[in-house]
Amino acid sequence: MRRLFLGVALSLLLFAGIGNAQRVNLLCSPDLAWCEALGPAFKAATGIDLEFIRLGSSEALARLRAEAANPVFDVWFGGTGDPHLAAFNEGLTEFYKPSSWDDLLPSLTKSVGETYIPLYTGALGFVINEGILAEHGVATPQCWADMTNPALKNLIAMPDPNASGTAYTAIATLVQIMGEDAAFEYLAALHQNVQQYTRSGAAPGQLAGRGDVAIAIQFMHDGVKFAEEGFPLTVVAPCEGTGFEIGGLSLVKGAPERDAAIKFIEWALTPEAQMIAATVGSYQVQSNSKTPVPAAAPDLDTIKLIDYDFAKYGDPAERDRLVSKWTNEIFPQPR
Amino acid sequence: MSVRSISHARTKGRGGSAAVYALAAAAAFLLLPFGRPGRPFLTIDPALRPWNLDAPWLWLLPVLALVAAAAALAPLPTLRRGNVLTFAGAGAFLVGTAWLLTTKTPFGMGALLSLCLLVVVVGYGLSLSGRVRADPFVASSILFTGLLVLLLVVYPLVTVLQAAVVVNGKFTLTKFLATLQTNRFILIENPFTPRSEGALVRYFALAGLALGLVWSLWRRQPALRVVLVTLASGLAGLVVGLMLFARGAVPSSLTLAVIAATFATLLGLGFALLGQRTRFRFVKASLGAFSVLPIITPPFILAFSMIFLLGRRGLLTFDILGISSNWIFGIPGVALAQILAFTPIAYMVIQGSVAALDAALEEASTTLGASQWHTFRTVTWPLLRPGLANAFLLTVIESFADFGNPLILGGDRNYLATEVFSAFAARFDQAEAAVYGVVLLFVVLLVFYAQARWLGRGSFVTVTGKPSRRAFTRLPGGLEAVLLVGFAVWAAVVVALYASIIYGSFVQLWGVNGTLTLKHWRDLTNAGVPVFLYTMRIAAISAVPAALLGFLIAYLVVRQEFWGRRLLEFGSMLSFATPGTVMGIAYILAFNTGPWLLTSSAVIIVLSFVFRNMPVAIRGGVAGFAQIDRSLEEASTMLGSSSFRTLRSVLVPLLIIPIVSGLIFAFVRAMTAISQVIFVVSPGNQLTTVLLLGWVEQGQTGRAAAMGTLLIVSMLVVILLLNLLTRRRGGITGEVVA
Repeated sequence: MRRLFLGVALSLLLFAGIGNAQRVNLLCSPDLAWCEALGPAFKAATGIDLEFIRLGSSEALARLRAEAANPVFDVWFGGTGDPHLAAFNEGLTEFYKPSSWDDLLPSLTKSVGETYIPLYTGALGFVINEGILAEHGVATPQCWADMTNPALKNLIAMPDPNASGTAYTAIATLVQIMGEDAAFEYLAALHQNVQQYTRSGAAPGQLAGRGDVAIAIQFMHDGVKFAEEGFPLTVVAPCEGTGFEIGGLSLVKGAPERDAAIKFIEWALTPEAQMIAATVGSYQVQSNSKTPVPAAAPDLDTIKLIDYDFAKYGDPAERDRLVSKWTNEIFPQPR
Repeated sequence: MSVRSISHARTKGRGGSAAVYALAAAAAFLLLPFGRPGRPFLTIDPALRPWNLDAPWLWLLPVLALVAAAAALAPLPTLRRGNVLTFAGAGAFLVGTAWLLTTKTPFGMGALLSLCLLVVVVGYGLSLSGRVRADPFVASSILFTGLLVLLLVVYPLVTVLQAAVVVNGKFTLTKFLATLQTNRFILIENPFTPRSEGALVRYFALAGLALGLVWSLWRRQPALRVVLVTLASGLAGLVVGLMLFARGAVPSSLTLAVIAATFATLLGLGFALLGQRTRFRFVKASLGAFSVLPIITPPFILAFSMIFLLGRRGLLTFDILGISSNWIFGIPGVALAQILAFTPIAYMVIQGSVAALDAALEEASTTLGASQWHTFRTVTWPLLRPGLANAFLLTVIESFADFGNPLILGGDRNYLATEVFSAFAARFDQAEAAVYGVVLLFVVLLVFYAQARWLGRGSFVTVTGKPSRRAFTRLPGGLEAVLLVGFAVWAAVVVALYASIIYGSFVQLWGVNGTLTLKHWRDLTNAGVPVFLYTMRIAAISAVPAALLGFLIAYLVVRQEFWGRRLLEFGSMLSFATPGTVMGIAYILAFNTGPWLLTSSAVIIVLSFVFRNMPVAIRGGVAGFAQIDRSLEEASTMLGSSSFRTLRSVLVPLLIIPIVSGLIFAFVRAMTAISQVIFVVSPGNQLTTVLLLGWVEQGQTGRAAAMGTLLIVSMLVVILLLNLLTRRRGGITGEVVA
C-alpha cells in the first residue's frame, strides 16, 4: 500500500510542471488556421502570450454558459453573431467599445448596436461542383428558385438548423425574402432535393467538393476557401438576394486577464491583424473599413444583400419558433 | 473458522500502521494550507493555513486524528480500538469535508492529503471492529474507490441530471415531457406519409405477444413464465416495429446498437477462436495486429476515410464498382464504421475468456465420443458465455454513446448521443441535453440488467491452479473456413481504410488532387506535434490508475462481501454508460467552482479519462476473476499473506492479461477519445482528437490524415511493445503456477 501512495505522490509531481502563466485565453470560433495564426502575430505586436481553444460558435456559447461562475476565457473571437448576442443578453460577455469603433463598417456597427464588436461579415450562397451538375445535365442554378428543380434530387446539401447557425441564417433569409408561408413552401420543395442536412455549417461545401453532392448551401467565403485549396468548386450568389452573418468579438465578463484581453481586442481590430485572415484562407470581409478586401473574397458590393433584421431574427424565441416549425413541418416529410 | 476470519484475525495485532496514518493526517493538516485561492494546485497561500482560517471547529480534525493515533497505540481490546479508529477517523474526515463544502473554498494540498490519510485510518477501524469483514487494505480500498466513484462519477451526473428537471431553480417535468414528444426524439405516426406507422408498430407488438404466448404454451411452461415470456416477446415485437417504422433518435440508436453489437460480438468471438485454434500460424500472428488497428484511431478518422473509399465518388464504390450512391450517410455507414471500431473491443474481452478455457474439458468431451460440434456446443460455448455477454454489453453501450461516427457518417438521421451534443452545443439547451442523457442512461441500464440476469446462472470456474497445457480441439472444418473468409474480408477492408489515410497525408488534396507532397507533414510538425506529445503524456498518466483502479474494483466486487458492493460496481459502470458529451459537460458544471475546483487543468482531463476508461478494466477483471478458483487465494491467506500480498503475488500474475489489456485499452482510448474531452480541453491543455476533429470538420484533410497516420503508427508501436511484454510475463506466470 505504501507503493500505492508513492505512486499517487509521483503522479501529483508530474502535474507540478503544468502551471498557468500570464496570458490571454482565447475562445476562437472561426477557421482553425486563422486561430493558429493569431498567437504568434499578437505576441510579436504586444509581447503577450496567447493560448486558444477552437470551438464552433454554438459550442463556444455552451462552454461560456457552463463556466459562467468562474470564467476561463478572456476573449471570444469570431463566430456568427447570434450566439454573441445571446451571450451579451445573458450577461456572459460585456460590451467594450474599442478605440477603432468609428473605423468599423457603419453598416455592421449599426446592425449590432452596442452588444458585441463586429469582426467580419460574409454572405450566404451556393457552393457548386460543376462537374457533378454536368454529369446530371443540369445548368448551374443562379437563384433560390432554381434549387427546387426536380433534376437536382439528392444533389443538394445544407446544414441542419437544429445544429448549425448557418442553416438558421438561411431559413431566416428565406423568410425575409419571401415571407414566412412562401418560405416554408419553398423549404418543403427544397427538402425533396436535399441529400442530407449536415451538423456543421462548413460540411456541405466539403461534400460538394468531394462529389457526394453537387450543391452546398452555406457561407460563400468558406466555398472560396475550399476552392483555393483545390476542390473543384465555384461560388454563386442567389439572384433574389441573400442574407449574411456578422462575426463577433466579445470581452468575457469576469475575464481573468481583463487588461490583456482589452489589448487583444484593440489589436484584433487593426488592419494589420485583420489582414492575417486572408493569408490563411479566411475570405470574410473584415470589419475595419481600412482593411483591404482580398481579391479572392466574394465582393459584397456586387452581391444583392437583403436588409437582414438582426434584432428580430437574432432573438432566441423567434429562432426557436422557426427552427421547430422547420423540424415539425419540413424535416419529417418523406423524400 | 472460515478463511476470511483467519485473515481478519491476523491483522489484529497491527495498530502501529494505523497510528502512522493518523499522525500523518494531522501533520498534513498542520504543514500544508487547507485551501487554495484559485486554480493552480501547488500554491502555498499563508491566508489559507489552518490557523488563519477563523474556523475553530476545523481544529477538531487534527484533534480527532490524534485521538485515533492514541487509540491505535494504546493497549485496547481490538473491537474497541477498531471502533475508536472508525469514529475518530470518520469524524475528522467529515469535519474537513464540511469545512470545504460550507466555505466553498477549493481544496488545498493539506485537505487532499489529510482526507486521504483519514480514509485509511477509517479503513483500519472498520477492519479491526469487524464492520467490514476483511483486512485494512481491503477496507480502505473499499472506502477509497467508493468515495472516488461518488465524487467523480455520481456527483457530476447528479449535477447535470438536476439540470433536466430543475429549471430556474424549480422542480418541473414539463421540459422532460416536452423533449420526449419532439420528433427528433421519436416520431411514430408521420402525418406526411400515407401509411399509418402507429398501426404497423401495434401489429408488430401484437405479433410478438402472440408468438410468445404460443411458444410458451407449446413448451408447457408454468403460468408465471407464460406471462413473462409473452410480455418479453411483445416488447421485442414493439421494439422491432419501432426500429422498422418510427423515425427519430430512439429508433436510430436502437437499430444501430443492435446491428453493430451483434456483428461486433460475433466477429470478436470468431476472431478469438480463430486466433487460439487455427492451423495457420500466419492468421494467428496477423489477428492480433489487425484486430487492434481500428481502436487505435479516433472513430471519426476511420469514418472519414470510409467516405473516400465507399462514398458516392469512393475509390471502391465508384472507380472500381461503378456505383454512385450515398448509402454511406445514414445507419448503414455508421453501422459499418461501428462494427469496424468495436469488433476489437469485443475481441479483447472475449479473448480473455477464450484464453482461460481449459483444454482438458474439451479433451474429456472428445474422449467420451462427442463430435467436434457437440463439444463446441456443450462445453466450449457455455464457458464462453460470460465473455460474450460482456462483449455484447460493452459494444451496445459503446454504440449508444458513440459520437464520432454518427457525427461524420450519420447523414441527417438523429442519434441519441449526437442529440445530446446538438442540444448542448447548438440549441443551447442544457435541460434538453440532460433529458437525452437520462434516456440514454435508462436504455443502457436496461441492457446491463438483462446481461446480469443472463450471466447470473451457472458457474464458470475453469482455472484451478492445476494448469493444462494440452492442445485445444481444432475448430470444425466448416466453421474454420467461414471464419477465415470473414477475417480475410475484414483484413482487406481495414488495410484499404488505413492505406487510404496514409495516402491522404501524402497528396495535395485527398480525393481530388493526387500530386504527391510533404506539405501536410511540415504543417503537422508546427501545429500538431506539440499537442500530440502533450496528449501522449496525459494518456499515459491516466492509463495506469485506470487499469489499477479497475482491477482493484473488480477484485473488491467479485471477491469481497460488503455493504454497497453492487452500488460500487454500478456506480463505476455509470461513467462508461453515460455518453461522453454528457460526462464532459457534467465535469464542467461540477468542477468549475466550489470545493472541487478542477477545470482548466490537466488534472480534470486525466480524471475524466481514468473514470471513463476504468470500467473496461473492471469488466475484464470481473470476467477473469470469475474463472479463477478461490482456493488459490485461500491457500495464500492460510499461509499468512495479507490480501494486498495475495492480490499482488497470486492474482495479478494470473490475471496479467486482463490487466495489461485494461492498461492498453485505457491508454489507447485516452488517445482516441473525443466526446468527453471536447468540453474539458482548455487553453494550453489541447488534445489531439479535438484538434483533429476541427481539421476534419474544416476540410483540412491532408493535415488530418497526417495526424491520423502519426496516431496510428505510434499507437501500434505502443501496443506491440506491451504485447511483447505480456507474452514474456505470461511465460513466467505459467511456470510459477506449475
